Amino acid sequence: MDAVVKRLIKEIKKAGDQDAFADLVDLYKDKVYQIAYRMTGNSYEAQDMAQEAFLRAYANLDSYDENRKFSTWLFRITTNLCIDRLRKRKPDYSLDAEVQGTEGLTGYSQIAASEKLPEDQVVTFEMQEWVQTEISYLPPKYRSAVVLRYIEDLSISEISDILDLPENTVKTHIHRGREALRKRLGNA
Amino acid sequence: MACEQKYEALLNRYLDGETNEQERDDLFLHMETCENCTNHYKELNKALLLVQSSSHIKAPAGFTANVMNQLPAKKKRTSWKKWSKQHPVLVAASLFVILMASSLFSVWNEQAGEEISVSGSQKVEVDQDKGIVIVPEEEVIEGDLTVRNGKVEVEGEITGNLTVINGEQYLASAGEVSGEIEEVDQVLEWIWYHTKRITADVFSLGENAKKSEG
Repeated sequence: MDAVVKRLIKEIKKAGDQDAFADLVDLYKDKVYQIAYRMTGNSYEAQDMAQEAFLRAYANLDSYDENRKFSTWLFRITTNLCIDRLRKRKPDYSLDAEVQGTEGLTGYSQIAASEKLPEDQVVTFEMQEWVQTEISYLPPKYRSAVVLRYIEDLSISEISDILDLPENTVKTHIHRGREALRKRLGNA
Repeated sequence: MACEQKYEALLNRYLDGETNEQERDDLFLHMETCENCTNHYKELNKALLLVQSSSHIKAPAGFTANVMNQLPAKKKRTSWKKWSKQHPVLVAASLFVILMASSLFSVWNEQAGEEISVSGSQKVEVDQDKGIVIVPEEEVIEGDLTVRNGKVEVEGEITGNLTVINGEQYLASAGEVSGEIEEVDQVLEWIWYHTKRITADVFSLGENAKKSEG
């Protein structure tokens, strides 16, 4: 895959080849979207962040160092965007908050479900939703480390590159995030 | 508990995949007797399994098309910029050519607008209003004659070359030019004329130097 990615990037840099960029988006869209979804906790913001990440990657491709892994660079853009969004997010925009003047109606219920799920998938969907909610309770710095380690399956050194943090700091963030998840998910 | 500090660190290293076999055995041997640590491990393991089991989300349909629609239109300027970054020598060279051409052109233009000028001899009649330079009858001009911005009527005699820049020459039946007659009225010809003159000067200088040496 690395050879393919290198060729695509060369085409985009040389001739601004948009078809090559579309191929690149296809290759990485799931991973980028997944990070964005796990970080923001909802599909609306996740799509926004993931798209923005690709647009920024296209605009700044000249500054990408071809000797390094493309995914590291792309994931760095993505996590930075998400952490920025989480910082700017005002508490009254939170989907977890109850909508004023309603009882038990949260922001989630105002977002139309994008796809209908078959009956037998509902249970797994509910469990996934619960896990995602618990991930969303983690502070952003622990959340990004845990998502990259356990959902994207990346090595500590790669995560350290993506988050621009020393490896020991990454480990500490993972340990604390793991501990927080244990308290919430471990005794269910 | 006394065990926690040591074994919690060990447990974290085990989960990070950093323990050797000895340390791993050590940890599990301890957990056989310590309910606290065993529960801690089980809960961590369960939490991580849950997190990992939920990790297969795909980007929504039409994601790529959405991104492509938002891409900025290709800018020609940026591609030129890139090109100029890659070929600095060519850029410098073409800049030099442009500057040279424009300075030559401006010199040419200055001359074209000017009044008649004659060099080589003062024994001619100059009519500024009509723009005519006349070499009168019975007059013999020794050497070359160069006229700019005017018509030349030769009724007398020129022993050298006649050069007319940006004008015309008319040789009367009685007139005579011993050397060559040259009319220059194009920028390129003018440049060529100048180049020729410069090389001729350099050449004759060299010849003069040789002569003086000899």
